[in-house]
Amino acid sequence: MDLPPIVIGYLQGSFLERTRPFCLLLDADYRLIGSWGEGDWSGIGALPVGEDVRDSVPFLVGTDLGERQAFDFMELPSGAIASVHVVPSHGECYVVLLDVHGDHAAIQTRQQSVNESLLMQARQQRLISRQRELIGELVETKSALDHHRREAERVSENKSRFIAMMSHEFRTPLSSIINYGELALEKDSSENDVRKYVETMSRSARHLADLVEAVLDDASLDAGQTELVNAEFDLFRLLDDIGAMMAPMAAEKGLSFVIRLDDDVPSRVHADEIRLRQILINLLGNAVKFTVEGSVELLVAYNEGRLVITISDTGPGISLENQERVFRAFERGTQKRAKGAGLGLSITLQLVKLMGGEVSLDSAPGEGCTVSVHLPAVPGAMDREEQVSALPTPSRVMHAEKPTSVLICDDDDDVIALVEHYLHRSGYGLISSNDAGEAIDKALKYDPDLVLMDCNLPGVGGVAAARRLREQGYAKPIVALTASRLTSAEQDVFSCFFRKPAPMNDLLSEIKRLTHSL
Amino acid sequence: MTAISSKICIVGDFAVGKTSVVERFVNNHFSDKYLSTVGVKIDTREIELADIGVLHKLVIWDVAGSESFGDKEFAYLRGAAGYIFVADGTRPMTLGSAVKLQSQIVDRFGNTPAVILVNKRDMTHEWSASDERLAKLQEQFDSVYRTSAKTGEEVGSAMARLSRLIINKEVRAQ
Repeated sequence: MDLPPIVIGYLQGSFLERTRPFCLLLDADYRLIGSWGEGDWSGIGALPVGEDVRDSVPFLVGTDLGERQAFDFMELPSGAIASVHVVPSHGECYVVLLDVHGDHAAIQTRQQSVNESLLMQARQQRLISRQRELIGELVETKSALDHHRREAERVSENKSRFIAMMSHEFRTPLSSIINYGELALEKDSSENDVRKYVETMSRSARHLADLVEAVLDDASLDAGQTELVNAEFDLFRLLDDIGAMMAPMAAEKGLSFVIRLDDDVPSRVHADEIRLRQILINLLGNAVKFTVEGSVELLVAYNEGRLVITISDTGPGISLENQERVFRAFERGTQKRAKGAGLGLSITLQLVKLMGGEVSLDSAPGEGCTVSVHLPAVPGAMDREEQVSALPTPSRVMHAEKPTSVLICDDDDDVIALVEHYLHRSGYGLISSNDAGEAIDKALKYDPDLVLMDCNLPGVGGVAAARRLREQGYAKPIVALTASRLTSAEQDVFSCFFRKPAPMNDLLSEIKRLTHSL
Repeated sequence: MTAISSKICIVGDFAVGKTSVVERFVNNHFSDKYLSTVGVKIDTREIELADIGVLHKLVIWDVAGSESFGDKEFAYLRGAAGYIFVADGTRPMTLGSAVKLQSQIVDRFGNTPAVILVNKRDMTHEWSASDERLAKLQEQFDSVYRTSAKTGEEVGSAMARLSRLIINKEVRAQ
């Protein structure tokens, strides 16, 4: 270096004064040969010549003395900061330690500040990410809340419509029943008057029962509690029944009523017969109800595993804005004066969906209405001819020669009295009980030809009682007569079941059928 | 009892808690204050492996935090018998840094016993190192530990494991 000797001397003096060099000379086995300088600042104590110094100078462990090395900043166990230089020379090695604590402190302050700033940035980044996540969650929560609010509004709207409907549709027949009942009890009513009053009361009660049934059906569908009971049945017979039911209603209004059947419709299908019947009655009933003149037509086709049911009428039609509303519960479109709960189409839509099908509506004001229903239905295993040949021949039908006995179990004495009245009039022998346990005992003791069982009984319920009877060997028909809904497993316990209020004529026919087939 | 001394290096990204891990291991002490390491810091502690009659002195080189090594850092690492990698469980990026550093070491010095400490386990609310990610680390390191220099959780176990790996390797080499 081309500097004046005096400057070089000055710099050397300054450097040596500042760094206080401490120099060790070691052999290849880390044994001390000699040392120079003042080492107190380094915390390395006195080192004996000829000894391995690695215990006292631990950074030498793993350090190759045969290679020139420099470690800029090394904090020793004593806390001293050294710049360490390893300088091999002729099989020996100088290890020089320079005190650099001043430089170290300055660099550490700078580095610390940089690192803290980087940490801060990382923390900010995390906060921003978290903030984004929270905003996302907030948006989702708001969307869920909006959905729940809309749902609550829908429920509230339904409730309001339900209350409005209740106040009119329920009060009208109730008022008729109450008032005509009071009239019938008046002393000066003639026998003819009483008969007329009771007929009106009966009609009103039936209408009320239909309303209650519709409301309960809708609630059950809404709550997802409706179970389908799929089985093979005679579709042609069902359509005959529907025709027999609807044709007189249409004729009464001067309407023509036609059922058309495509050739490829299977006579027997596998589906829920009761629900299909309900759908057809709802749709055809509406068509007949709202059509003033012209016709109502039911077309049934079969396409790719689906029944295609099309009901067309020449009624007043439904405007586009009302088409969605008519499928909502307690809505009656523009036909405010029409009788009914406004549930028929809502129930129909829910049933069709439950059965895996779709409903579509094509209508315009003044142009009638066409409702199409597509329902999955597997063709039945037996064709119509086989099914006809499988029907019992007259010679197989047995007639009872002794009075048929029926055991009735119901905790309501009025129901027992009513059923007893009808059965007694039809010549049945009767046993009755208010208690399921007692009914089991009587059934096993007297072996009646049929048991008619309420289900919602105190203590042992009707379903449990029927199961117990079966377990104890009672093999004759057990019929449920209940106001409760039965699950399909519960229905299987009984030969058949009737929902209260059951039409007495239907109940009697079924009892007759079941007891005659014994 | 045979005395063996080994140089081990503790490496990882900055502020992952390397110096705190060493402080916990050597002095059983912890400070919340962050103090950046410049260059390298030397400490020692002995571990007694009684079953094999070895008193193992670990000379720990606590190397300044870095996400990748240059010539200066490699100078510190030369001659190490094992490595402690440290990452911060609340900063998943530091796991990536540890993996990268390990790969540099393998390229330069070949396979050497190495364990990884995913530190700051005590900061449960900010912990973001998934179990899947940690399971993947098992493929690259001899052992993976979830540690807390603050509570001391798993720090001693990790050091003991590395000590055992180093001695086993030396015994096999003899």
